[in-house]
Formats: sequence, C-alpha cells, structure tokens
Amino acid sequence: MKTLADLKKIREKAQEEMKLRGGNVRMKIVVGMGTSGIAMGAREVMKTFLEEIANRNLTDVLVTQTGEKGLSSMEPVVDVIEEGKEKITYGNMSPEKVKKVVVEHIVNGRIVSDYVVATGN
Amino acid sequence: MQDISLHLLDIIENSVRAGAKHIKVRVINNVPENVLRLIVEDDGIGMDSQTMQMAQDPFYTSKLEREKKVGLGIPLFKQNAELCNGSFKMASEPGFGTVLTVDFQLDHIDRMPLGNLKDTLLGAVVGHSEVDFYINLIYQSPFATQSFLFDTAAIKEELGDIPLTYPDVIEYIDQSLLEGIQNTNMEDV
Repeated sequence: MKTLADLKKIREKAQEEMKLRGGNVRMKIVVGMGTSGIAMGAREVMKTFLEEIANRNLTDVLVTQTGEKGLSSMEPVVDVIEEGKEKITYGNMSPEKVKKVVVEHIVNGRIVSDYVVATGN
Repeated sequence: MQDISLHLLDIIENSVRAGAKHIKVRVINNVPENVLRLIVEDDGIGMDSQTMQMAQDPFYTSKLEREKKVGLGIPLFKQNAELCNGSFKMASEPGFGTVLTVDFQLDHIDRMPLGNLKDTLLGAVVGHSEVDFYINLIYQSPFATQSFLFDTAAIKEELGDIPLTYPDVIEYIDQSLLEGIQNTNMEDV
C-alpha cells in the first residue's frame, strides 16, 4: 500500500538531485486535451509521455494538459516548449510517435520534422 | 468517445477551463441499486441557467478559438447516459461552481464500459498540478462497501517544491490509483 511516508523518501531524493543540477525546468510539454483531442487518443498520448518520463528518469521536464487550440483536424496535438527556442507543435500524435519524440527531441534535442504541424506562436 | 472514463476526462477539462481550483470526482458502483454514478464537483466560474441549457446543445461552445461552432462533449455524454436508462443532471451557480451527476444503469446492455479510469485520473492530476483533486471511488455490493480516497492537496503538501511530474512521483500516483481502483473493483466495470 502506498503511503505518504513513501512521498517523504521521494522528496528527500528529489531535493538531493536538485541541489546537484539546480531546479530548472528544461522543457515543457503541453498535450491538447479538448473534446476532439480526447476522442482521437490524447489520453494515451499523455499517458505515454508520463511513462517515458518515469522510465527515463527525466527530472527536468514538465508535462501539462490544456484545452484545444483550433487544430481539431490534427489531434492529438502536442506542444514542446523550450526556453529561448521556438515552440514546436506536433500533430496527429500516437503513443509510438510520442516515444520517438521523447528520444529524438526531448532527450537528444533533434526536432522530429515529420510530425511537426506548426512552429512559433 | 468509447468509454465513460474518456467522458470523465472531458468533463474534468471543462472544470479546469472554468478556472476551478478544487475538483471533486466521485465514482460510485452501486450494485444493489444497479447504478453506476459519476459526480464531478468544481469551484469554477459556474453558469447561469441559460448557459447551462445551451451547454447541452451540440451547436453551442464556449471556446472562442473554434472555427466551427460545435460543442459535443456534454451532449454526447448526456446522450450516452440516457441511452442506457440513466440520467444527466447539472447544477450550477455563477461564481460558485458546477456539479454534474451522471447515472448509468449498471447492467444495461448498451452501457459503455467505465474504461481506463486510472489513465484519466493520472493525466488529470499530473497535467493540472495547479488544481487540487479529491477523488473518491466507492464500491457498494450487497454485503460490503469499499471506498478509496485520493487527495492531491495532501500529496503536494508532502512534496513541497517537487513537481508532480517528477518521475518517482508519477509512479507513486500511478500505483496509488491502481491500488484504489483494484480495491474498489473498478477495473472491469
């Protein structure tokens, strides 16, 4: 059974890590979770990002959900935001594509241009 | 939408868009009364009675960015509930929030499955760390009642400045939800 005591251990470990590398968030991933996104599989896309972050121990990446932004025909849609760089929007995402984006873009910094549907704001 | 938990996710997103800071989600599997009930309660901006009526119309949306003015989330959920002898009720007050209560006849042949409740809740909780979620799953059999409570405010307090997307925290929340869903027999509903 999971208890709050388990969280205490996690916090101590996380704080140690943050002391070493600073608490900066390097990248922010935003998954579009409007009605059309959900109907097209956005929940599985979100879940795959969370799984990949947990499995690869990516401690400096944030993932959030948001409503739709008028790209309904390209759902599920995902934004990758990195400070000082142009926002990259990926469209027609699937769990498989998410895995590729995590390896290529999030970990190695190479944009997967095949999946990009928009850049900038 | 293929299952009820996808509708639930859609409704939670509505609450977030309404600026809710606290969202209370209850899923009740009441076997003696043959009802599967979902209650989502938020403290968002709320709606007046006219907006509430319009929200049930498929050709209404509050999303200004939409080119095509359709809003199918609530109408489809309502239709799916009513198709299996259930009901869909909304109560709201501008400035105070909204409560949505959706009933399904548990053993109705056309009822959609509850689906992957865990992924719906995990995504919502981690993806909206600014919102406090209070989740209650209840299983009522003729013999016993099992209840699972999950309160993200307590978790955040314990974590301090560690984000919910910290890898070990994702796993912790995932595991906690899984245990709760198993203990309340919500896996194959």
